[in-house]
Amino acid sequence: MKIDAVLVAKVAALASLELTDAEQGAMAEQLTRIVDHFEALREIPDELLAGEEMPRAMPLRADAAGPCLPAGVVEANAPEFAHGHFVVPRVVTRTG
Amino acid sequence: MTQPSPAALLEGSFVALADAVGSGRVTARAIAEVSLSRVEKAQKAFGAFLSTDPAATLREAEEVDRRVGAGERLPLAGVPVAVKDNINVAGRPSTAGSKILAGFVSPDHATCVARLVLAGAVVVGKTNCDAFGMGSSNENSAYGPVRNPWDPARVPGGSSGGSAAAVAARAVPLSIGTDTGGSVRQPAALCGLVGWKPTYGRVSRYGLIAFASSFDQAGALTRSVDEGARAFSVMAGADPKDATALTTPVPDVAGQPGAGLLGTRVGLLAEATFAEGGLHEDVKASFEKAAGTLRAAGAVVTTVSVPRVPFAVPVYYLTATAEASSNLARFDGVRYGARKGEGSLSALYLETRSAGFGPEVKRRILLGTFALSSGYHDAYYGRAQRVRALLVRDFAAAFRQVDAILCPTSPEPAFFLGAKTDDPLAMYLADVFTVPPSLAGLPAVSVPSGFSRDGLPIGMQFIGPGDAEPLLFALARVLEDASGVLARRAPGAVS
Repeated sequence: MKIDAVLVAKVAALASLELTDAEQGAMAEQLTRIVDHFEALREIPDELLAGEEMPRAMPLRADAAGPCLPAGVVEANAPEFAHGHFVVPRVVTRTG
Repeated sequence: MTQPSPAALLEGSFVALADAVGSGRVTARAIAEVSLSRVEKAQKAFGAFLSTDPAATLREAEEVDRRVGAGERLPLAGVPVAVKDNINVAGRPSTAGSKILAGFVSPDHATCVARLVLAGAVVVGKTNCDAFGMGSSNENSAYGPVRNPWDPARVPGGSSGGSAAAVAARAVPLSIGTDTGGSVRQPAALCGLVGWKPTYGRVSRYGLIAFASSFDQAGALTRSVDEGARAFSVMAGADPKDATALTTPVPDVAGQPGAGLLGTRVGLLAEATFAEGGLHEDVKASFEKAAGTLRAAGAVVTTVSVPRVPFAVPVYYLTATAEASSNLARFDGVRYGARKGEGSLSALYLETRSAGFGPEVKRRILLGTFALSSGYHDAYYGRAQRVRALLVRDFAAAFRQVDAILCPTSPEPAFFLGAKTDDPLAMYLADVFTVPPSLAGLPAVSVPSGFSRDGLPIGMQFIGPGDAEPLLFALARVLEDASGVLARRAPGAVS
């Protein structure tokens, strides 16, 4: 399958990544080669795969609050932290 | 009673070192001082470490001496351990080999680290690795590549390349790493070491910086099988902090005698001989020799097929990258790590991630996002998951015929730095033998089986059904005895 620069840009946007034109071109070429190789999975007949599903082995834990890191410890690693909260650029703005 | 020299103890098995510290014949502090000096040399020669904290190490060693003095019996008393930089150690940086986590200091220990420290191990440094564990050569670290102590022009393997180089260089006798698709076993093979990944869930994932959660496991790298088994017995166990951690009893891996292998059925992986990308002839010869060694030890050696193994690399790279695209969404510049971008939240995400992730991490996030995206999900991720389930059944069928499977760990010995950096697909194919057990959640042990004509180590991998670690270590001891690897020192090893 051909993965062109447009598809790379679309996928990059989904992944919150910004690529330069050169990066987009290189990724398109590499991903096309990789995905072409992975087309080998189509060699496995559909009927062999019918009903195949990965077992879900993980038990669910109780939905209960547990201990968490103290705010001071969290703050030490935060790029910006104030009044017990992470600071990010304004998300909601008033217009009009 | 003469006091053993710390340098001599660091040259031998850490089992003897722990006995010497535990019996008070040498202090953990004296061992730590010598190890720290070697760590510095290994860093300069091979780029094996990303951070050290000598003052903290010496404090921790003194605490071990205090505990020994108080009568505690510690299975790893004073054993210096190096920890891959995507595993948290309280109070130390964890960059995971990526710029995006620059400045991050771990608030607590990963559970496997806590268990090692509780057993008396002393952390001497954090090791270099491919960013987020994504790589097979340790050339994807934002902090430079790692070189192989057996030949510094060659890679140590990856992604736990720093952990492997640290042990091969004899800076430490024990290191730990993460193994998602072979990241402990492949560098172990390329550096002449023993490296294991457990049955999925046997070692807690708490405190590991996640790459692909249905694959990630912590494992250890050591020079000998006995040391690897002791590390397993310390690191394994239930953990309420990891919902996927097994709660069943940990198998006893101590002292499984080689003589007990009479009649053990070992299957040579049929698909190994026609591996895509080829099998290096020295590796092939070592594989054949290993079969002979096992026969001579009383094992019943046959050939066994796991038919979907040739599809394992595509399945792995579609499913693991899909999981990575989700796991790595957390690196957004809000809660930890480096931050870039102002003006809007979306600009902050975009600039932080674009500047912080390296090319291979971006490539894998894109591949995983593509495989999960609308219009492609069924054909790629969905199909890969179904083939993964088929592979699980293949292994189950194989283990009705044999007790363990043997195949090379890597299709070739250590390759030259830069040999595959322009060809991501060729790099992915280096994982052809390590990803199948990862896909099926099976335990696997890589053990040195000999050397190439160039004097490079070659490793073989035993794969077993879930909880087969005791048998795998026992089989590995047979090859270890025959390989002569324990008598050889990497030419670049420090002292």
